[in-house]
Amino acid sequence: MKDAKITYLTDVALITCVVTVGRGDAVIKAARSMGAAGALVYHARGIGPRERLGLLGIAIEAEKDVVSILVATDYQDVVFEAVYRAAGLDVPGAGMVYITPVERMATYVPREVLARVPDRGDAQ
Amino acid sequence: MKPELRYGDYLQAIGAGRRELSFNAIAPPVGRDAQGRPIPPPPPGPIGLQPDEIAALLRPYVSGRFMEQVKAVVPLALYLALFQILILRQLIADSWVVTGGLFAVIVGLMFFMEGLKLGLMPFGELIGHTLPRKSPLPLVLFITLLLGIGVTFAEPAIGALKTAGQNIAPEQAPYLWALLNQWTLALVLVIGASVGLAAVLGTLRFLHGWSLKPLIYASLVPVLGLTLYASADPELATVLGLAWDAGAVTTGPVTVPLVLALGIGIAAAAGRADSGLSGFGIVTLASLFPIIGVLLLTLYVAGTVTPAEIIAAAATTGAEKETLTWYERSPGLEVVMGIRAILPLVLFLLLILKLVLKENLPRPREMMLGIGLTVVGMCIFNLGLTYGLSKLGGSAGSLVPAAFMEIPGADGSPLYRYAVGVTIALVFAWVLGFGATIAEPALNALGVTAEQLTNGFFKKRTLILAVSAGVACGIALGVTKLVLDLPLVWLVVPPYLLAALLTAVSSEAFVNVAWDSAGVTTGPITVPLVLAMGLGLGNATQAVEGFGILCLASIGPIISVLLTGLWARVQAGRQERAARDQPAIHREQEVQAVL
Repeated sequence: MKDAKITYLTDVALITCVVTVGRGDAVIKAARSMGAAGALVYHARGIGPRERLGLLGIAIEAEKDVVSILVATDYQDVVFEAVYRAAGLDVPGAGMVYITPVERMATYVPREVLARVPDRGDAQ
Repeated sequence: MKPELRYGDYLQAIGAGRRELSFNAIAPPVGRDAQGRPIPPPPPGPIGLQPDEIAALLRPYVSGRFMEQVKAVVPLALYLALFQILILRQLIADSWVVTGGLFAVIVGLMFFMEGLKLGLMPFGELIGHTLPRKSPLPLVLFITLLLGIGVTFAEPAIGALKTAGQNIAPEQAPYLWALLNQWTLALVLVIGASVGLAAVLGTLRFLHGWSLKPLIYASLVPVLGLTLYASADPELATVLGLAWDAGAVTTGPVTVPLVLALGIGIAAAAGRADSGLSGFGIVTLASLFPIIGVLLLTLYVAGTVTPAEIIAAAATTGAEKETLTWYERSPGLEVVMGIRAILPLVLFLLLILKLVLKENLPRPREMMLGIGLTVVGMCIFNLGLTYGLSKLGGSAGSLVPAAFMEIPGADGSPLYRYAVGVTIALVFAWVLGFGATIAEPALNALGVTAEQLTNGFFKKRTLILAVSAGVACGIALGVTKLVLDLPLVWLVVPPYLLAALLTAVSSEAFVNVAWDSAGVTTGPITVPLVLAMGLGLGNATQAVEGFGILCLASIGPIISVLLTGLWARVQAGRQERAARDQPAIHREQEVQAVL
């Protein structure tokens, strides 16, 4: 039986982590171990500390990995912390991580998961 | 005041076609231990899918790959069938079997290509990247040599060459018959070793940055010398077609990417990353060396057995044909051949990985699936080859002569007057070659490279057209050879001398592109189709053997691309002069006359 209704997921947070190129995999591993279902990695070029550090800036790679992770809001702090530690963001120029509230999201939700939850939030 | 309502709020209020669900409701609850630290939740398990969801996932995946092969096979098959029905006015025998066979070719190629991408290619790249860093150069080169032999076994078109040997009459061409029936293993080994040697030389070439030109001259001398020597002896001359075709056959969809992956890996490890040209050259050498190898093997065979002995042996084996076990008969034989082609290569790669590199497969399950798909695809492709492509090509080949001469199977033959009929046959061959080549995906990639090498002056389209026209002329020339029973030597040696001459005056970049375009054109569909057509044509016109079309199809593009390259250079020079206000009109006319 095909369900014609779109299931909107609410209470979603987007965690974006910017790290030196090549360290994205470690971030993803940490996020997944804390319950994140998946991640996206972009390659990007970062500008900022590298220029402002003067000659020391040479120690900072301009090439970055940007990792986006969508998690349930209950998880945002757990995953955030795990990502922060895995990326070692307490070092100058190592990168950053931030959380964006996501209004809603829709994707494929396995049927057995849908069947497990009570059908609340349905048409009012 | 009018009450205002956002459309979004309205939709939300009526809940049209949607429902909301908190992500938190479907995520497992977050656990915290006594100190309030989060406990890692169980990792999200694999996603279990319902059958209809699996179908929805696989449909686009399969249909895209399926259509790719359909686009390669169907137009050619349709062209052959329509030509046969409309021009030759003959129905296609066993049309259902042929249709089934073509379907098997499509499915088999689809599986094979996908398996190659998932299994063998990552394997080759992994070894290419890690081997040079962990082993000394001589060992690396030795493994490259062995790999060359392995990939030749796996090449689908090699199977076509072997099946082609069954129709040879031992009395007319004893050595050819012996090579294709008694010495098959040695033949494939020699071809493989030649490819391996070519891979070694090609790798050394881009390690040391050698020019391709002297290598071409150095390999052309023994190739042409042996050809001339063999053509002097009427017994040996029959093998020439096979030897030259072997070169064209080896550079197929397995050999080229795998050997290239290894070579590029070695070059990258040596600090000579892509110069744009690093991949070239191997293909060229891999299509020249097998000619030397096969001719040398023939000389060896000729030194050990006499034609009379072979004919005697042929007579006895002919009698034994009745008692074939299941794996030597048709459906079983193809399956066994498919497994025998892939498994040794996989085992060899695995051994290198485990013993030399001491590493594990990065994604073992995916790669195993890929290798499985390769084997299954090879078996299905072999079946399709026997029942579809070879049959269609063979019937077209044996019926085309009905246009100009009397053929027992065709009613009312000759259908046309001799000159008209021969012209029809040649036009047919030309269009077939053009159509088969222009659809070849590898050619597109070569075109892109050529465009980059010449800073956009040599357009991708120009190259594709040049190569297709070259192949078409080559195939038409090959058909002429079969129809008029011309000796192959006089068709092969002068074009190669011309190619060598053009090579001398062309720029290095173009020499690379031009000589490699020859190898690129002979894909897994063109080769069996053209081989079968040639053999059918040869049988119908009572020629001794039907080989030789493929090698002419690979010299064609070399010359056409070199000429186009020269023309492009002249044009570039002319533009430069025009910029200096000195138009050279006579020069332009000369160039156009040459083309």
